[in-house]
Amino acid sequence: MLIQILNAVQLSMLIFLLAVGLTFIFGIMRVINLAHGALYSLGAYLGVVVVDVTGSFLLALIVAPLLVAVVGGLLQIFAIGPLTARGRNELEIALLTFGLMYISIGVLETLFGKDYLSIALPNAMAGSVDVFGVSYPIYRLFIIAVGLLTALCISLFIERTIVGAAVRACVDNKPMSESLGMNTDWVLAGVFAVGSGLAALGGVIMAPVLSVFPHMGSSVLILSLIVVVIGGMGSLKGSFYGSLIVGLTDTLTQSYLPQLTMFAVYIILVLVMLTRPHGLFGRPAHSL
Amino acid sequence: MSDVRTLTILAIAVAGAGLACAPFVLNDYQVNLVIEVMVFGVFAIGLNFLVGYTGLVSLGHAMFLGIGGYGFGIFTVLLDWPWWAAIPATIVCSAAISFLIGIVCIRSSGVGFFIMTLAFSELMYGLAFKTKLVGGDDGMSGISRPDISFLGLDIYNPETLYGFMFIAFAIVLFVSWRVIRSPFGMVLVGIRENEKRMRALGYRTQWYKLAVFTLSGTISSFGGVLLVIKTGFMSPETLSWMMSGEGLLMVIVGGAGTLLGPVIGAAAYVLLRAGLTGITDHWVLFLGSFFVLTVVFFRGGLVGLASGVMAWVRR
Repeated sequence: MLIQILNAVQLSMLIFLLAVGLTFIFGIMRVINLAHGALYSLGAYLGVVVVDVTGSFLLALIVAPLLVAVVGGLLQIFAIGPLTARGRNELEIALLTFGLMYISIGVLETLFGKDYLSIALPNAMAGSVDVFGVSYPIYRLFIIAVGLLTALCISLFIERTIVGAAVRACVDNKPMSESLGMNTDWVLAGVFAVGSGLAALGGVIMAPVLSVFPHMGSSVLILSLIVVVIGGMGSLKGSFYGSLIVGLTDTLTQSYLPQLTMFAVYIILVLVMLTRPHGLFGRPAHSL
Repeated sequence: MSDVRTLTILAIAVAGAGLACAPFVLNDYQVNLVIEVMVFGVFAIGLNFLVGYTGLVSLGHAMFLGIGGYGFGIFTVLLDWPWWAAIPATIVCSAAISFLIGIVCIRSSGVGFFIMTLAFSELMYGLAFKTKLVGGDDGMSGISRPDISFLGLDIYNPETLYGFMFIAFAIVLFVSWRVIRSPFGMVLVGIRENEKRMRALGYRTQWYKLAVFTLSGTISSFGGVLLVIKTGFMSPETLSWMMSGEGLLMVIVGGAGTLLGPVIGAAAYVLLRAGLTGITDHWVLFLGSFFVLTVVFFRGGLVGLASGVMAWVRR
């Protein structure tokens, strides 16, 4: 049982790494970035390349997220931003990112083929340790630690720094922030970059545990989208607790109620939508 | 205005006549492609009611292809019903399921609706994937085409199948045309343009949305019935969100919010796929590019492009 719970928390942390970017992008722009799963896959593939070239997993863990963060920032500055400025609505942007997702799958297939790749576990983390009397892989504990650390950093950043305050202001009321002289384009590009970097971090960190293949982003993306809806769009707290709920539900049903595996998460989603249409921690959108 | 109307009627008459004699001019492969256009055309017409007319973008419409296809399969293979009972029964069941899914989905709008429909389609995908009775992940095969030998016709003959599909397609097109021209259709467009104003005018927009969700789901499910009649096979992959995305692409490339747009989009989709899968196996790459190009360059789709050109010519 303890092992299952640890596995669930580990999955939750992965989902959180994606959901946190999605929820902030949505919170500010009202845009759902369906290419977020592609950024996750891109991170994993870059990780594979970096490990192949340099042999250092630690380097992959740093380089891949940074590169993908740049990609994400550029995506906002050169594609999504200008198109929004030219009057494309939120759904057209969603379709654009949907197309970008397909393109990235196609490009990854062309470059790396449809085969399953993987990264070898770094030696330092190959073993297991005793956790309350059960033996558990060190690497999976590392994933949990990274997730929790990220959550802590982001929450401190958002709550305690001036840039974090700017992000909160944009989520709350973007036009008002603009009229107070804030350059919301930069805030958005930054949020996009950090969100993309975190998704890529999720990709690299999972590469030694799961296999790396072009469609790997799809299932994680769907779980993260569900987290964003359950938690409330634009809410950091929501994305954290939402990830825990979804991760626990998914893992625990897989081990104890296998016949419910593919449904339990959706049943929770429907229940949340019926009782709290704005999500557990969300608020109704500002109407101007 | 009146010469535009005559022109439209003329164009439709020519297209109809062309479609009616298509099987006599085209070879079997081409006839097969036109049948595919009509099948996906029905699917896209259903989706267009939500996306184009009401402004509710669904990313889960492939589930209705599945509901219709598996429904027909369950009635004919598992329950051994004759086809003329199975088709209406499937339509009624699809309508009921669409209604129930609609009750939950219409509570949200915009991106929330987008994700709710995606979630339901994943749920249906899981159901199809896990249910051994309908073949599980292997899919359901051996679904026979309607036996119309009492008319002295063999449905396994491509021309006969074409005729069958043509009649079904024409019925769907006619019904859609009537609905769009009706006051109900006008209310839908009103909701798309400004839902608050429609509510202020006294329309209970939730009921309209539920009704159009049910209608849209039912028409798309009928597309699923046609699809399974054509292929004789249903796989869970038909319900994948990739298929839903392709449906959206058909609607948007053709021209959302127009009667024939989705059909033109379906034609573009079927022909492009047939052409491209012959020369490359990177279909997803092209599919993605079409999405991006559509959003960036032509928002009104092909129909929008055509009417823009016509407006420019008339000037």
